[in-house]
Amino acid sequence: MHNEHNEHLKNRNVSELDVNYYMVDIKDYPTDSWGKFKRVVQRSFRGELFVGLWVVLREMIRFDIHTVKYPEEKMPIGPRYRAVHEMKRLWESDTERCIGCGLCEKICISNCIRIDTKIDENSRKEVSEYSINLGRCIFCGYCAEVCPELAITHGGEYENASDQREHFIMYQDMLTPLDTMKAGAQREFEGFGAITPHEDERVKKTPLAY
Amino acid sequence: MKNLVNFKINGISVVAQKGETILSVARKNEIYIPTMCYISKTSPCASCRMCVVEASGMDGFVLSCNTPPVEGVEITTDSAALNHERVNIMKLYDVNHPLECGVCDKSGDCDLQNKTLEFGLSAQSFSAKDQLRPIKHWGLIDYEPSLCIMCEKCVHVCNEVIGDDAIEVKFGGYSSTIIPKNSEMLDCTFCGECIAVCPVGALTSSGFRYRANAWELEKIPSTCAHCSAGCPLEYETRHASINENEKIYRVKNNFEFSSLCGAGRFGFDFDTSAKKEASSFELAIKAIESAKAIRFSSIITNEEAHILELLKDKLGLKLFNEDARKFAEFMRAYSSVSGKLHHSGSLDAIKKSDAVIVIGSRIATDNPGVRYALTTASKHSGAKIVYAHPLEDILMQNVITQMMKYEVGTEEGVMALLTHSILIGADLDESERAIIDELDLGYLCAETNIGEEEFSLMIKSFSRATKKTLIIGNDLIAHARSQNIAKFAALIEKYSDFCVVVVPREVNTLGVSLINSLDADENISGVVGYGANGDFKISSLADANLVVPAFNQQEGTVVSIDNRVLPINVALGFDGYTLNDIAKAFGIDRENTIDYTKLLNKKSGFKEIEFDNLENFLSPFGEDNRGYILDEVECLMDGELDELDDMPEFNGTIIYHADPVLQFNSYTNITTQLPKDSYLRGSEQFSVAARIADGDLVEIKTDSSTIRRVFKLDGELKGTVALSPTYDLNSDFSGYRFEKSKIARVINE
Repeated sequence: MHNEHNEHLKNRNVSELDVNYYMVDIKDYPTDSWGKFKRVVQRSFRGELFVGLWVVLREMIRFDIHTVKYPEEKMPIGPRYRAVHEMKRLWESDTERCIGCGLCEKICISNCIRIDTKIDENSRKEVSEYSINLGRCIFCGYCAEVCPELAITHGGEYENASDQREHFIMYQDMLTPLDTMKAGAQREFEGFGAITPHEDERVKKTPLAY
Repeated sequence: MKNLVNFKINGISVVAQKGETILSVARKNEIYIPTMCYISKTSPCASCRMCVVEASGMDGFVLSCNTPPVEGVEITTDSAALNHERVNIMKLYDVNHPLECGVCDKSGDCDLQNKTLEFGLSAQSFSAKDQLRPIKHWGLIDYEPSLCIMCEKCVHVCNEVIGDDAIEVKFGGYSSTIIPKNSEMLDCTFCGECIAVCPVGALTSSGFRYRANAWELEKIPSTCAHCSAGCPLEYETRHASINENEKIYRVKNNFEFSSLCGAGRFGFDFDTSAKKEASSFELAIKAIESAKAIRFSSIITNEEAHILELLKDKLGLKLFNEDARKFAEFMRAYSSVSGKLHHSGSLDAIKKSDAVIVIGSRIATDNPGVRYALTTASKHSGAKIVYAHPLEDILMQNVITQMMKYEVGTEEGVMALLTHSILIGADLDESERAIIDELDLGYLCAETNIGEEEFSLMIKSFSRATKKTLIIGNDLIAHARSQNIAKFAALIEKYSDFCVVVVPREVNTLGVSLINSLDADENISGVVGYGANGDFKISSLADANLVVPAFNQQEGTVVSIDNRVLPINVALGFDGYTLNDIAKAFGIDRENTIDYTKLLNKKSGFKEIEFDNLENFLSPFGEDNRGYILDEVECLMDGELDELDDMPEFNGTIIYHADPVLQFNSYTNITTQLPKDSYLRGSEQFSVAARIADGDLVEIKTDSSTIRRVFKLDGELKGTVALSPTYDLNSDFSGYRFEKSKIARVINE
């Protein structure tokens, strides 16, 4: 079964295998200059030009326009689209998910992530500075993939044009706003590295039999 | 051949020396036995039981870490039963171990993580009630009990190698923890060795904690810059913050075989920065052109010392370095009797000794490397250690077996008496025998305040010893009669089985004394200071007229107390000028400073080896492969003992220039983490004699200086000698460290 399948792929002569393939009827290209001249005239005055113009005119009169009126209108972005990063918060406590492990900084191939960490007053690790230089970022998605806490993800925000490079590194802009969090409106990233369905069933729990 | 034991491990025939354990033999033969608590430099902790093996003819398992093999035994290190046992141990280690490896300060550099993966544990099958275990902040050290696996490495190292004996295990089954011994807070010398040996993230450096991960730090092997012990260390560097330059984050050491004191571990940020400014460089050139002398400190590399010597020859300058000059004169006198240029001992020799005399040094703070060697000798060989000094030292209390307290200034008499009692039946030549025999023992004992019975007690306690070491401190080197003292020391070395270690004061005092021909320091003007005071200062400290790289920013070599030439490497970059640039301006033309490494003075025993060919590592079995040991040089034996001088008298309030723990010099003074204790410390008796009280601001007037300090009553001290630090004064204190002083209370204006 498996071999048969492979054989099928290796045979590139499609006409032998599949009767649905057929040859397209294309006339030979003209070679002399008279023939070429005739082809130009035929193509120019066939009327196909006016078909297109008619379609535009018809739709204009009907006011049934399909063009997205950017920036007033925007196309919905797929959940796995990799645009500007988002820093997520924990559902349970609304605190930032980032634990400052530094893996995103290490894996970043364009070297655009830098973080500073220190010990906080509760003796926990605190991220004191987090910066992504979006001017350098190539949106490869490695940082989101390596993040053990699903803290850094990609979002749908692709409008990051600015006349100042410094505008490309605002941490606060990436962090889920608290009101969004309170409203339960934080969206999870569904791309690579995200939690797969049925993850709950696969988790092994620490025994608590005391 | 009686001392060898032949046996088999996994069918391979191996040989053990007498006293070796199964584990150490297996490691030597590259046979793997997993361990969690074993550390080569201490006695086996035997707490993890991971190292169990099967032995033929024995029921059950044997702990390979503390069991010596018997002739012909067959050892199996791996079997299904052993693996089952080890997996069970790992399961117990992992019970409730916090799953926070992502933020743990160990950041993957973790024995527990490695072993858990090695034994394929993916889930916890036991349960135990977890309990509240708050983090303890002990100054430079943080302790997180919930991460602790109770391997007891820290306790063993603290007790057996360092000698602080500051922590202990509080036994309580699952709730066992490490606690400070006999105290609420950790009271120790903060060497940080417990941090180094901790296999998990339980003991951490509070200054480093959570600031960087092990895997993002670049490791630069080098040698410690603070004292002459020449401890190996690794600087770990990374970019400082989001947009900043490299900085040193921490210092690590090969804790399996070597130790490091807190100054080396926490005192690493003494680097400086500068740009090439032609104007200050020209001023420096002009200053040297018109200078009569260059005064320099011993905190320089051999190569720099060599360049200074070349400058001296070229420009006809004088070179001042009192510390190295006194050391050189001491060693010259020593060599003229012993016939050898270098002292015969080393730190390793001290570690293996079973009888040691330490004289003329507050060794625990002068040279922690020697202290750790003494602790090792005491704990592992049961060494008898005689500590001769006018002041008791609480840090040495656990180690010394006999305190020989002599009067300040009578070092020559003490050495004469020591020589007399050690060489009692030795085959001295006539003139030497005459001097020894003519000693006025009654007068000397009275003046030094050491009774003859103390010497006979010492000789008696040394009677069974086979490896003896005499350690000579700075009080003897800087003494007015140092040359005669050196000759006594050389006599002991020559005619007895003692080997001698002379402790150099600074990191490269020994190297400088072998390379430079030094002149006696005159108090003249027109002196350029190189890392020292002068009219024009070239140094890496704050008040420099021309900034040159600090010790962790340059390549070069230093000579340690072991007579070993050790490489130091560039941990951090430096953009300014170096001494070599100055030399080039005077036509002494070599491209790099390290081009001089192979040109160092051959007559002093340096070898013709390129810097780049010097190794800097300890082997997996602990052999020191760093740099090279100086060749032994034979000397003319033309020295003759002098008659003893009258013993000087030191009365009233006496100051002893001694730095507190973790402080050595101006460089340790500018580091951020090291504590900066600048009190004048004295006993109750001293405070009465000087008529001052605890907390008073006092002015201390001695022949060499006038300084102001706050007085602190120290219950651990006795007598009328007070300790005054020198590390924060930025001036030369290479003279005799005891000084008569006038102390007056400063009335607040």
